[in-house]
Amino acid sequence: MNKLWLCLCGFALIYGMVNHNIESLNQVLMNVGTDTLDFAIPIILTTCFFEGIMEMAKRCGVLNGLQRWLSPILLKVFPDLDSDDEALSYISANVVINMFGLGFAATPSGLKAMEHLQKKNKEKTTASRSMVTFLVLNTAGVTLISANIIAARTAEGSNFPTMYMPLAIVSTACASIAGLLLDRWWNYRRS
Amino acid sequence: MLWLILLCIIKGVNGYDAFTDGVKEGIKLSVSIFPGMMAMILMINLLQHAEVFVLLSDFISPLIDFLPSEVLAMCFFRPVSGGASMALMRHILSLYGPDSLYGMMASVIQGSTDTTIYVIALYFSSVGIKKIKNAMWIGLFADLVGISVAIFLTVQFF
Repeated sequence: MNKLWLCLCGFALIYGMVNHNIESLNQVLMNVGTDTLDFAIPIILTTCFFEGIMEMAKRCGVLNGLQRWLSPILLKVFPDLDSDDEALSYISANVVINMFGLGFAATPSGLKAMEHLQKKNKEKTTASRSMVTFLVLNTAGVTLISANIIAARTAEGSNFPTMYMPLAIVSTACASIAGLLLDRWWNYRRS
Repeated sequence: MLWLILLCIIKGVNGYDAFTDGVKEGIKLSVSIFPGMMAMILMINLLQHAEVFVLLSDFISPLIDFLPSEVLAMCFFRPVSGGASMALMRHILSLYGPDSLYGMMASVIQGSTDTTIYVIALYFSSVGIKKIKNAMWIGLFADLVGISVAIFLTVQFF
């Protein structure tokens, strides 16, 4: 992360300077504080709200139910986890919420899952195999319905706002499967 | 929400305590993810304003000349920033029309993957992971597959 971040930032600065874009880069540096705040406040507030809802769901046993339902599949995807792992119930919640396209709402359960995966992690600053798998699953984004896209299409006057969905579902499924296969081949072949 | 409340009443769970405890956790989480978020936004904004994405799509567009530059730019933005690719999608929808080939393509691309770099930065920084191993490459590979399949499918079926 360190190297990547430094290289990309440095490259952007140098490239911008070469192209005489210094002024807009200065703007970026001046505005990054407020930009982050504008970006973060809605996320933090929704995170807090859904964290509250999730705690309720957890105490009512909904998360355990989800876990029981999804764990046969998830255990195949995460061979390093046990079936009674708490991380697994958060991963199930995250996957389900993501499927319904509630991106922001999925973040708290994802972060919770990371927390529990970190507890089992032996080297605290290096990502464990399960973490990498979880992130791949998450970034490939198994989304079935996305309210955002449908809303945008409707707003632009589409006659078939939901027509893109079957194709998007196939693409997202391909992305997830490809990611998981590469992850499996890359990270688990030695064991 | 309603069935959750009903469930709380049926099971005799203290819903108020559960909710407020959850929110407390949420604030702790938010504090721990803020630094990573700021670093990521700084990087993305710098890249965007230095027009690195324009450079990239100029570099690749001769290779993939059957796509308009807006769609190509969207392919680059999709893994980096959900907001930016969403804005580009709206631009494409209003330019070509939502039910046109490119409008459809943009919608499918938007739905095909999630913002890899954002998710990786956020999730790893929240628990203090420094070495992310190959997560970034696998995530970007999955995005590449998702976007390619999205383009292929829309050209085939639309």
